[in-house]
Amino acid sequence: MIRFDTVNKYFGDFHVLKNINLEINKGEVVVVIGPSGSGKSTMLRCINRLETITDGELTVNDLKVNDKKTDINQLRRNIGMVFQHFYLYPHKTVLENITTAPMKVLKQSKEEAEKVARYYLEKVGIPEKADSYPSQLSGGQQQRVAIARGLAMKPEIMLFDEPTSALDPEMIGEVLDVMKALAKEGMTMVVVTHEMGFAREVADRIIFMDHGQILEQGKPADFYANPKEERARLFLSRILNH
Amino acid sequence: MDIAGALSVDHLKFLADGFKLTLYVAFISIVLSFIIGIVFGTLRYANIPFLSKVVAVIVETIRNLPLLLIIFFIFFALPEVGLKLSPTVAAIAALTVFESAMLAEIVRSGLNSIDKGQIEAARSSGLTYIQTLVSIVMPQALRRMVPPIVSQFISLLKDTSLCVIIALPEFMHNAQIIYAQNINFIIPIFVVVAFMYFIVNYCLSLIARRLESRQA
Ligand SMILES: Nc1ncnc2c1ncn2[C@@H]1O[C@H](COP(=O)(O)OP(=O)(O)OP(=O)(O)O)[C@@H](O)[C@H]1O
Ligand SMILES: [Mg+2]
Repeated sequence: MIRFDTVNKYFGDFHVLKNINLEINKGEVVVVIGPSGSGKSTMLRCINRLETITDGELTVNDLKVNDKKTDINQLRRNIGMVFQHFYLYPHKTVLENITTAPMKVLKQSKEEAEKVARYYLEKVGIPEKADSYPSQLSGGQQQRVAIARGLAMKPEIMLFDEPTSALDPEMIGEVLDVMKALAKEGMTMVVVTHEMGFAREVADRIIFMDHGQILEQGKPADFYANPKEERARLFLSRILNH
Repeated sequence: MDIAGALSVDHLKFLADGFKLTLYVAFISIVLSFIIGIVFGTLRYANIPFLSKVVAVIVETIRNLPLLLIIFFIFFALPEVGLKLSPTVAAIAALTVFESAMLAEIVRSGLNSIDKGQIEAARSSGLTYIQTLVSIVMPQALRRMVPPIVSQFISLLKDTSLCVIIALPEFMHNAQIIYAQNINFIIPIFVVVAFMYFIVNYCLSLIARRLESRQA
């Protein structure tokens, strides 16, 4: 479904992604970990072309992401994205945050879009917040709205970039629960996160990145128990010991 | 000091005529420069190849000229190339040119102040650049722009008085004519003029505060 074929990316002279080869299948849940600056966000953001690759080939559903002929907005409506800092629209209510894209991109009527929005708000557990503004919500609630906003487009793929890193510890669980439920329903997910519990419970595969390369991948149980790469071992011991 | 003489009915009527013209010129210039400022500010923000650069050069040039020079230029230099404007039209043209450039900069920095992450969130949900600009960036930016835009309007209203130099019969111009007749008129006339400018500008800032608090 998502395929990186010897993808390279540079920021100026800086080689951020080095020969990335990766295939992610439909329904797969992939967790990406690695030290800060290793290129996790960049790799994720290439998938919906928030970043453009320098060379190699990247396809989503056999569509070349960076091809001029590819309608990027068409591609993006099929890929939801959730960010570390939520990025809800502060001037819109929760309901409006969720209905904006379905109405503008999918041309849904207001009634239809609101029905869908309420369905997903129910699903992420905060139906009563429909008419609130983002500033009136806790971080965990905001992130759940952001997830509902992504889901309302009925995407086939969801990308998460450290969705719980900006949250207070007591709110991490509520967001992870929503994500776990989504994973179990068969959503294709690429998740940058260091939440090991989440990875162990629902990930099909862990990808360890360092210095722009995919150093190691494997099933969560194997990887956590017995990482092959020295750097992966070092990294794991660091995140476990703090 | 001759208060009664200074504030005779004829004088007050004459001042009122000047004041009306000041408001008229300021109002038309405000409307025009608001529209042009938004268009130019947005074009500059949008990073359109070539076009944004051209707009940037125009805006920066105008912003770095004294308004007085622009007034002079439009009224005295343009006739040399065959474009003769009445003082009123020249005043409106000069103020519009200058204030458009000031507002364009306010608009651009207002747009720039919106977090890029929100733009990415909107774009990643499939909204086009224009849709993102119109429904996500603009509404938020406009709210933040209210205070600087209103203070720009207040300076515009005050700046119309610079048009005395092209004999535009606006408020300040007419006040000058009155107190030039008699030195004893100066203080009363100044008090009236100051009071009127203050009232209008104060109302403008009240409106701005209302707008701001309603959106907070
Ligand atoms: N727009 C950019 N221009 C230049 N360099 C960039 C840009 N974005 C990221 N980088 C650099 O690319 C490298 C990889 O960044 P990236 O954000 O992908 O790392 P990451 O693995 O997500 O790190 P973190 O865990 O801190 O989020 C970093 O060294 C970063 O400084
Ligand atoms: Mg990152």
